[in-house]
Amino acid sequence: MSQTKSLEVDYNYSVVRLFTLATILWGIVGMAVGVLLAAQLYWPALNFDIPWLTYSRLRPLHTNAVIFAFGTSALMATAYYVVQRTCQVRLFAEKLAMFTFWGWQTVIVLAAITLPLGITQSKEYAELEWPIAILIAIVWVAFAVVFFGTLVKRKTSHIYVANWFYGAFIITVAVLHIVNNMVIPVSLWKSYSIYSGAVDAMIQWWYGHNAVGFLLTAGFLGMMYYFVPKQAGRPVYSYRLSIVHFWALIGLYIWAGPHHLHYTALPDWTQSLGMVMSVILFVPSWGGMINGIMTLSGAWHKLKTDPILRFLIVSLSFYGMSTFEGPMMAIKSVNALSHYTDWTVGHVHSGALGWVAMISIGAMYYLVPALFNQGRMYSIKLINTHFWLHTIGVVLYIVAMWISGIMQGMMWRAVNTDGTLTYSFVESVEASMPFYLMRFVGGVFVLAGMFVMAYNVYKTLRAENHSLKPVAEAVA
Amino acid sequence: METATLMHTVLTVLLFVGFVGLVIWAYSKGRKKDFDEAANLVFDDEPKPAKPTQKQQQESDHE
Repeated sequence: MSQTKSLEVDYNYSVVRLFTLATILWGIVGMAVGVLLAAQLYWPALNFDIPWLTYSRLRPLHTNAVIFAFGTSALMATAYYVVQRTCQVRLFAEKLAMFTFWGWQTVIVLAAITLPLGITQSKEYAELEWPIAILIAIVWVAFAVVFFGTLVKRKTSHIYVANWFYGAFIITVAVLHIVNNMVIPVSLWKSYSIYSGAVDAMIQWWYGHNAVGFLLTAGFLGMMYYFVPKQAGRPVYSYRLSIVHFWALIGLYIWAGPHHLHYTALPDWTQSLGMVMSVILFVPSWGGMINGIMTLSGAWHKLKTDPILRFLIVSLSFYGMSTFEGPMMAIKSVNALSHYTDWTVGHVHSGALGWVAMISIGAMYYLVPALFNQGRMYSIKLINTHFWLHTIGVVLYIVAMWISGIMQGMMWRAVNTDGTLTYSFVESVEASMPFYLMRFVGGVFVLAGMFVMAYNVYKTLRAENHSLKPVAEAVA
Repeated sequence: METATLMHTVLTVLLFVGFVGLVIWAYSKGRKKDFDEAANLVFDDEPKPAKPTQKQQQESDHE
């Protein structure tokens, strides 16, 4: 806490700026594809009978765009920013950092070309074929070198907790990606997994659920541990809790994958193990949620005036909600009802749109002025507009999928007294139609919010340097 | 097969003991000062006049 520490280090912001703008761009693209898909489910003619626009090809494009283009760009932007600020040093290997940006954008563009062409490994969230998978591995190792290199040359004695989460996310995603992409190529755009049968399925969901646990959770918790205290102007509620829940979270998540394979050919004991681990996971998840929200204790009034803080805190509420829902859905008897229904889709989006997108958007609203020499965003009112558009959109989405999903589960399991099925599959599709429309409307709200953000960012970038004064100063 | 089972048991017990040890370490009284400092690390990058703790500074900012 000495005065000498407050000397301004010459940080490398250029790569952070690029990733920040990429986050906003890919957020709009990925969510727009999502809205188109939602519309296709209600108006199937919207694929225009063009193979490249069919649901089956655009769906992986949507998931890859929002997770790896939007989400991961946000993670890279904030990881590079946070590691520099909390270690009080300039980025290590800056050219390599620039390579991670252009390398990652190349991956995204290649995904946007190959997926609509139908080139895929057919593994959910790991669709990209082997040449792109290799590029991902190279970029990721470079990302790790830059991040850990910066940690090594830090000026502070302690490594701040946010970096622990970023570090765990970077290492684990590298391991997951490499193991799950072990394939034998047969041509430039076709390969076969070296695993087979139930083992292949297990590896895939070990990967798949840890992509949720480490990319979409640990990484964004790193973001939370920097931006929530910063925006609230208070240190994190309990540093002790952050250490305990870090180790508990990373120790448990790795086991949760089998809950994606309940009642399949996977051995029963593996399913039960996955279920138990998923249920316990509730505890460290809520540890993080409570730690984030309670950071605001004694300063709740700030929520009234600060829409950025509102984004961050509401994102934690969604995190708490979906990490309660997730363990519940991992219980085998609940899963028997929820699996393969829209409930799963709703659960994923309460995590993705509620937690991941809202914490990222909050972080971006903090970052943009900080990176582009301004005291605040162009319009605080528009941030508030975005907040409400997004929140209403997410709530519409989740509620629609809850109703639709539980209804589907009930219809599929209903049997007549003679043992025959009460409903045909298509009857359940028909019954879901109103909720597909409701989900589409929710998606439109969220996307509209992203456009409001893009406009606000554009105006902030166009404003003269330092012309937008911080809120506190403006009042004084 | 039996060796594997024994190894699994030992590993599980070790991990559990390690975790309990971590919790005791994290919540021991001696660590409080270090953790308070660590928690305030996020504010060390702000070029503001230093005050006893960041928490107080932020509160006075607000008044």
